[in-house]
Amino acid sequence: MFLKFSLRSVFYGAGGGNDIQWCFSQVKGAVDDDVAEDIISTVEFNHSGELLATGDKGGRVVIFQQEQENKIQSHSRGEYNVYSTFQSHEPEFDYLKSLEIEEKINKIRWLPQKNAAQFLLSTNDKTIKLWKISERDKRPEGYNLKEEDGRYRDPTTVTTLRVPVFRPMDLMVEASPRRIFANAHTYHINSISINSDYETYLSADDLRINLWHLEITDRSFNIVDIKPANMEELTEVITAAEFHPNSCNTFVYSSSKGTIRLCDMRASALCDRHSKLFEEPEDPSNRSFFSEIISSISDVKFSHSGRYMMTRDYLSVKIWDLNMENRPVETYQVHEYLRSKLCSLYENDCIFDKFECCWNGSDSVVMTGSYNNFFRMFDRNTKRDITLEASRENNKPRTVLKPRKVCASGKRKKDEISVDSLDFNKKILHTAWHPKENIIAVATTNNLYIFQDKVN
Amino acid sequence: MLGKGGKRKFDEHEDGLEGKIVSPSDGPSKVSYTLQRQTIFNISLMKLYNHRPLTEPSLQKTVLINNMLRRIQEELKQEGSLRPAFPASSPPADPLGSSYREAPSAFSHPAPAPCELGGAAPLEACLTPASLLEDDQDTFCTSPAAQPAAPARLAPPALPPEKDSFSSALDEIEELCPTSTSTEAAEATTDDPKGDSGGPGAQRPEGIQDGRPDDPKLMDSLPGNFEITTSTGFLTDLTLDDILFADIDTSMYDFDPCTSASGTSSKMSPVSADDLLKTLAPYSSQPVAPSQPFKMDLTELDHIMEVLVGS
Repeated sequence: MFLKFSLRSVFYGAGGGNDIQWCFSQVKGAVDDDVAEDIISTVEFNHSGELLATGDKGGRVVIFQQEQENKIQSHSRGEYNVYSTFQSHEPEFDYLKSLEIEEKINKIRWLPQKNAAQFLLSTNDKTIKLWKISERDKRPEGYNLKEEDGRYRDPTTVTTLRVPVFRPMDLMVEASPRRIFANAHTYHINSISINSDYETYLSADDLRINLWHLEITDRSFNIVDIKPANMEELTEVITAAEFHPNSCNTFVYSSSKGTIRLCDMRASALCDRHSKLFEEPEDPSNRSFFSEIISSISDVKFSHSGRYMMTRDYLSVKIWDLNMENRPVETYQVHEYLRSKLCSLYENDCIFDKFECCWNGSDSVVMTGSYNNFFRMFDRNTKRDITLEASRENNKPRTVLKPRKVCASGKRKKDEISVDSLDFNKKILHTAWHPKENIIAVATTNNLYIFQDKVN
Repeated sequence: MLGKGGKRKFDEHEDGLEGKIVSPSDGPSKVSYTLQRQTIFNISLMKLYNHRPLTEPSLQKTVLINNMLRRIQEELKQEGSLRPAFPASSPPADPLGSSYREAPSAFSHPAPAPCELGGAAPLEACLTPASLLEDDQDTFCTSPAAQPAAPARLAPPALPPEKDSFSSALDEIEELCPTSTSTEAAEATTDDPKGDSGGPGAQRPEGIQDGRPDDPKLMDSLPGNFEITTSTGFLTDLTLDDILFADIDTSMYDFDPCTSASGTSSKMSPVSADDLLKTLAPYSSQPVAPSQPFKMDLTELDHIMEVLVGS
């Protein structure tokens, strides 16, 4: 008994991605993957991890809440159940260009909780909205002028006065839009990021980054503008942007050419000149026609500590030390076996897929998605990595996930999958890691999988 | 050289086509390099012009594809600038060298040799499924008919084949909007000693392996650049800039034949007359938006459909 206990603490103490045994916990979404509107487009835990928000292509936001653990019998951490569902964005029509504006939710970001209500920002291509999610579990009863059903009483029938009292009711979760930040972006918004001052946030589109105050919707400051005077000369776009977690004057943005620029808002109002430029020189032995496209950065995330940042390009994940601009400190290959398939992936557009990446709570493990519903984790300390699959086949709770392996060429071993039999329609673009615990949310096309580490 | 016999496994070159730069100086690798470049060029063009979005296309994707096209164009320009020394010329040492990074905008200045810019080679034939390029290097010659011509063509640095497929590609585009100028150009291309194709409208069976020698007269007569402005009736005052960065309906120049050769990995779907009419219907009923660079006419649509379907 004691021996088992101490072994377990060895496993969990290290916190390594490989030492953790990941188990299936839940899957949300329809079994048949046919409905386009259900395609999950963003996943985000809130700051405590109690709430998990997803946005989809149909403009809906679904928030799951973790059950409070039953302290007596904690076989597993609490399950996530639907807490609130609301329609965040509707499709719009741009009459000037005769084009539809998609209602797809590109990003959701939570504000830290300040009172009983929860706040989040959600954005589609053009408009950002601040939503307040509040609970109502009491309602007032005993009005003098109204009946219980709402009808007004004839004032002449009122003979006594009473004070209305609050009585409990079934929990109701309401979402209401508190601010709508519109008409500030000509191009498609790809990122939003809340500043550490919790008063301002940035929104980035392909060519510009704007700074907003959460209270002010009718104006925003433009802080980065890379639009050339002549659009014919456009060769680079902004792909992602994020505020530093601790320094409220610092943010980074990544580009389609594989560069990351760190900007300091104290330097000037328009941060077109970067303070730091992070770029890794190209490896000449790996050069190909597709070098630029695969170097395009699809996601950038600061570590929780603020000392590092992680970037995701098509084939790899790179960790950068903010103090070193000329190369990343760590590089992890996500699916190097795709390098010889780039031409096909260009032809079928998969090469433009935008994979996201995320850190675990202690910044020791990073995670990102791949094809065939595979996702990968890299332990920065042990340098080990693991490939897992999100599939309904392993859907018994507490089933430990089996590591997967892709065979690049040559003889395929048993249980390995060859590159040619990968399903490129099954891609995991969005993943999220609980800020404090080993719980991860992984989105396949229209299902959300929740995995946790094995708890006994 | 690439003839019959036992299938050779290019094990040492397995990722040579995709992952590494194949030096254009050695014979078969140079073919594979130019073949891949041509294929990528074609795919890129198709991506830009086949998109029928209801929503705005992704600017990032457009920019990346555009950069790809520019890079290839620059490379071809460089190779073309060595043409005077043909056939004894040595190919440029590093085709992807200086032109690799940030090619300056080439759209605004007319190219010295328009032929080199390359349009899409006849789309239905030259859409080598990209997987072919990756898997089997032996399938360069797509048909026996091309093979006898292959040695003769491949012996010199393979500059002519690309140009010819480019000019034939431009013909294809012009075919969709026939005017007197384009007919002239098209006729000029039929001065073809190899004579492996018929009149201006003929679909070449394998566009990749087109073997027509240089024709300086031909190149001069072709319109320059990416501008598809040859037709007076189809697209007026339309530059590539407009196409790439303005929001116009590009469904009119969807190329139908791509389904036959492109294989399962391609996402293109055939455009039927119904589809085209449906896309036009909203335009005809709406008031003309000021940003529309051109107005479509149903009679022109009929004409275009005839060309698409009939040829």
